[in-house]
Amino acid sequence: MDALIIVFASGLISLFAAFSKKPILVLSSALGGLLLGIVSIIYQITGGQSFVKLGYDGLEFTQASLYYSLTILVFAFLLIGIGYSRFKESTEHIGEYIGLLLFSATGAVIMTAFTDMFMFFLGLEILSIPIYVMAGSNKHNALSNEASLKYFLMGSFATGVLLFGVAWIYGATGSFKVSEIAQAIFQMNIDNTMLFIGILFILAAFLFKVGAAPFHFWSPDVYDGAPHVVTGFMASVVKIAAFSAFLKLFHEAFAMAHDFWVPALSGLMILTLFVGNLSAIRQTKLKRLLAYSSITHVGYTLLVLISGSMTSVFDMWFYMTGYGFSVIALIAIGISVNDEEDKIEALKGLGKRNPLLAIAGVIAVLSLAGIPLTAGFFGKYLVLADAWKEHSTLVIIALVNSAISIYYYLKVFGAIVSKSETEQAPIKLSLLTTLIIVITIIGMIGLPFIIPFL
Amino acid sequence: MLLATLFESGISIKHYMLLATVLFAIGVFGVLYRKNAIILLMCIELMLNAVNLLLVAFSTYFGKADGQLFVFFIMVVAAAEATVGLSILVLLYRNARTTDIRLFNKLKN
Repeated sequence: MDALIIVFASGLISLFAAFSKKPILVLSSALGGLLLGIVSIIYQITGGQSFVKLGYDGLEFTQASLYYSLTILVFAFLLIGIGYSRFKESTEHIGEYIGLLLFSATGAVIMTAFTDMFMFFLGLEILSIPIYVMAGSNKHNALSNEASLKYFLMGSFATGVLLFGVAWIYGATGSFKVSEIAQAIFQMNIDNTMLFIGILFILAAFLFKVGAAPFHFWSPDVYDGAPHVVTGFMASVVKIAAFSAFLKLFHEAFAMAHDFWVPALSGLMILTLFVGNLSAIRQTKLKRLLAYSSITHVGYTLLVLISGSMTSVFDMWFYMTGYGFSVIALIAIGISVNDEEDKIEALKGLGKRNPLLAIAGVIAVLSLAGIPLTAGFFGKYLVLADAWKEHSTLVIIALVNSAISIYYYLKVFGAIVSKSETEQAPIKLSLLTTLIIVITIIGMIGLPFIIPFL
Repeated sequence: MLLATLFESGISIKHYMLLATVLFAIGVFGVLYRKNAIILLMCIELMLNAVNLLLVAFSTYFGKADGQLFVFFIMVVAAAEATVGLSILVLLYRNARTTDIRLFNKLKN
């Protein structure tokens, strides 16, 4: 709860700090607020009490939601840090850019901690609406405008579908509270048709939001058109918030309707994996490749929802955290290389231009592909091992897809390690960017070492 | 004739459910088939209003106030969404001089 208030306040402060026309002031208030939020969450994880007490029980910060919030705030910190070099080009709007990202992070924190549909819906909207604006923040670029329109139309359509589902669930169970919905479904004295209609609509909206097949068609366009930082934000913060919220809904509220939604989700998971992988092979642009790779990773994460084991909350957290670090590393490279058309071939000769970036890029690609000793490998191992007992067919399909995906990750790997034909100027990194790239490397390699401590 | 039989038996919760579903379906088909971005926005609003109607009907049926409370939240969020959506449209119109969504296809591979 403290972290929520701190991050929101620092968003407001950054908005007003922009009046001073000093970008560094905006940046330091945002990063300072996020650091303070991270510290307060770590304090609560280690057993400290929240300083703010609410009389309202719509938000409950359990240990799991604290971990998810911690990841969200760390990712927001890293992304605002690497985006600063772009943001400060327009001193007029830097306050809005950073402020909106912070408000969006508040929405993400709310989505990890809700206990009723009110907070779930508000969190989802506070998360999404700033991102609609941010996707179009490159105002004079037609592609950015188009991405903003597409994301807005798809996002608000998904909101409508989600609310229709929530209304039918309310009609079937007579409550908006997660615990009371679960209770009502458990007692079996409700209208099943209405319940199933509700679950089906909520499921469709969820697949829209995370970009799983067959509702994925918007995501490559939007990822491609949006500025790099916003693409990174959509792939890391938005995904982890959406997954934590829907994990709670499906494993707590609709757990007893398990038999209804698991077969549907299994079929869609297979479709998502194949669609994401087979389309990613043809891509030549970095952000488009990231978009299709994120569709594939959504497929693996859906397996956590399906398997529903005791450790699913932790598996999901670990997988999404490892994935997020890799995406942020690749986004940092995309921003630093600053290629006009964002081609993968522009990464050629990166080792000579800047060795640190090349190391981060190689580790990120290996982690996304799930090569051993990276966070991506351990994440995939946890997910697949938990699902193996009851859903071995799905695990085998996931493994086959994992093998296919190595092909296009190796293309990026090859581009990074190969020499370029033309001589290119070395890339100079600012201190902040260097620090952030080092943090992502530590995250991708060091994350597995925390497993024994949890 | 149909209306007369409807009113004689009274308007039950089922009629509200049917009406809300029809409104929602009109909204969905509008989003899928219309080409003007402003009309798409209006269709999305129609979907949200169908949800509002459904929630109010259920709320009255159960004799609980929380459904109507939810409607206020939806109305506030819909207003925020419309604000953002219209400003995105104004930005697009300034650059492209059109609101026809078929012309916004530069991002395809």
